[in-house]
Amino acid sequence: METMIKLKILADAAKYDVSCSSSGSSRANTPDGIGNAHLAGICHSWADDGRCISLLKILFTNECIYNCAYCVNKITSDVPRATFTPEEVAMLTISFYRRNYIEGLFLSSAVYKSPDYTMELMIGAVKLLRETHRFNGYIHMKGIPGANASLIKLAGLYVDRMSINIELPSNNSLQLLAPQKKKEHIVGSMGFLQSSITEAKENRKHFKKAPAFVPAGQTTQLIVGATPEPDLNILTLSENLYKRFEMKRVYYSGYIPAVEHPNLPSIFTTPPRLREHRLYQADWLLRFYHFRSSELLDDKNPNFDVNLDPKCDWALRHLESFPVEVNTAEYETLLRVPGIGVTSAKKILSARKVQSLTYEHLKKMRVVLKRAQYFITCKGKYYGKVDLNESLIRECITYENMCSSGHLATGEQLSIYTCMRQTPQNIS
Amino acid sequence: MVNYIYDSSFEGLLTAIYESYYSDKPPEHILPDRYVQQQLLCENIQIVTCEQKADKVYHAILKKISSYALRHTYYAFLSEKQDISTTLYHYLRLGFKVGKDIDRYLIDENVRCVHDISRKVGFERHRMLGLLRFRQVGTDNYYASFEPDYNITALIAPHFTKRLSDQNWIIHDMKRNIGAIYKKDTKAWIISDMMAYQPIHDISHEKMFQEMWKTYFNSIAIEAKQNAKLQRQFMPQRYWKHLIEKQ
Repeated sequence: METMIKLKILADAAKYDVSCSSSGSSRANTPDGIGNAHLAGICHSWADDGRCISLLKILFTNECIYNCAYCVNKITSDVPRATFTPEEVAMLTISFYRRNYIEGLFLSSAVYKSPDYTMELMIGAVKLLRETHRFNGYIHMKGIPGANASLIKLAGLYVDRMSINIELPSNNSLQLLAPQKKKEHIVGSMGFLQSSITEAKENRKHFKKAPAFVPAGQTTQLIVGATPEPDLNILTLSENLYKRFEMKRVYYSGYIPAVEHPNLPSIFTTPPRLREHRLYQADWLLRFYHFRSSELLDDKNPNFDVNLDPKCDWALRHLESFPVEVNTAEYETLLRVPGIGVTSAKKILSARKVQSLTYEHLKKMRVVLKRAQYFITCKGKYYGKVDLNESLIRECITYENMCSSGHLATGEQLSIYTCMRQTPQNIS
Repeated sequence: MVNYIYDSSFEGLLTAIYESYYSDKPPEHILPDRYVQQQLLCENIQIVTCEQKADKVYHAILKKISSYALRHTYYAFLSEKQDISTTLYHYLRLGFKVGKDIDRYLIDENVRCVHDISRKVGFERHRMLGLLRFRQVGTDNYYASFEPDYNITALIAPHFTKRLSDQNWIIHDMKRNIGAIYKKDTKAWIISDMMAYQPIHDISHEKMFQEMWKTYFNSIAIEAKQNAKLQRQFMPQRYWKHLIEKQ
């Protein structure tokens, strides 16, 4: 089969994988090699769905022995199948890289014959890239759950990042939709990866020449909206993954119905984009804003209000901590003000060292005050359009959100039009 | 009113700043010569670029203000905005007064303006690290054309020197007709005038790789999530001319 046709099939089969980042590694080029990794990552293009393209994201093969209900590549699916050779993967990566189309390779795969066999094929391709082509660009490789630990160990020596997908938010759902994937295998492989990463880091502290092992760490992804778990379960799961396995990222993939199955939402369901967006925002709050999942959601409110961002929702339920004085509040306190992010908080901290700040100053400094106005004072004065009252502020902010024609906070593949059409997707 | 006119080079700007401290006629505006218009009631003083004077200012910024301020100055200068030289003049004067705290004066008009423009230049630099597209024009020779808003060729060249060190390449800024030319044998790049550049034809299999890239680009998008507006927001249309996947 022609490489072009394979590329079409195997890129198409890989597109539901959400991860695209090329960050976290600062691998240097070698004297006779090609490529290096950029610590912050680089996006090279943006596809028609608005998602960034950083890596050549392909499956090694889409021939699968599994039959996971939600997957387009399951054994019973009637889709064209293809399998790359390691040489083809290397050739594509290098030629794209030399033209600056990509930052590196994201190699995933369906499970062909067995987890071990699949891993060996993938390792063959990355080994060829690293050793024969002396490629030093970014490589992200999927770990196949249930593959032998020695294979994961070997792969880790060649790649920058590795990810093992947790797929679904609970063991029940996993048994229901992907009975051949075992929770013990997934968690076991994650644990093994994590301990190997820690060990390699420790070794590199003592021996400069000790080999790097998955220097950009591990990530995972799970599907949101295919099964009935509320946001609370998902966020708690993520929090545990961050703590227990030192995950760099947990990716959420709003379920896009592609196959008909009695255990899945109907094929006519709209993908839960806004819910996915709120989860990402909450995930950010866990990682960069020092929030705990139990602060954001509880059994009484197990799902996010889709009309408000999670931080605003939290602040409105904790008005007793507000307003805060921008001239004296600590960094951590500023971070908890809706509308003030890491950049604004740092700006405020820096600017107030040379001058005490007024509301006008904040405007000039381009601190976004649309939401923040209700939660701060400047030199003791309160500037909110309405008094510090939960329902009044909630109404104001929701109303403004609906009116504004701009984008939501981080613009995660969303525009306001999609939010307005969308209804929250909570299957119970 | 006095205007200082310099030769549009960074050294020229620094020389003008040097002169402003030793002249009894401080400038109302500092202008690169490409923007000069003769105005009534205005005296234009031509600044003669002097490497030693520029060097003194350069090191004074590093020592008395900060390396951040120097970087902001250089990046903002590369924006080539009409009034940026005058803004930089005020920025640096304040800098020499308050020292390394300069970048905390976010409420000062000039500081904010320099930060904004320097950020925009830095942003375009980062964007181009991804959006630049090379085509193969010989066994080891690659060529990329682009039309950046700001004069960032010299800012992106070091990145490709590290990354694509085993191929010869040219990065051609078509808007300014300058280019960075890298030779793998010497592992060095220079900025060169590209007025006389004769385009070289792609090698025969170049088209095939471009088609493969387009195939990949189209296959990786999820149809159910089409979002052209978001795509244009990240990848503005003015850059498409040089993007293979958008042709």
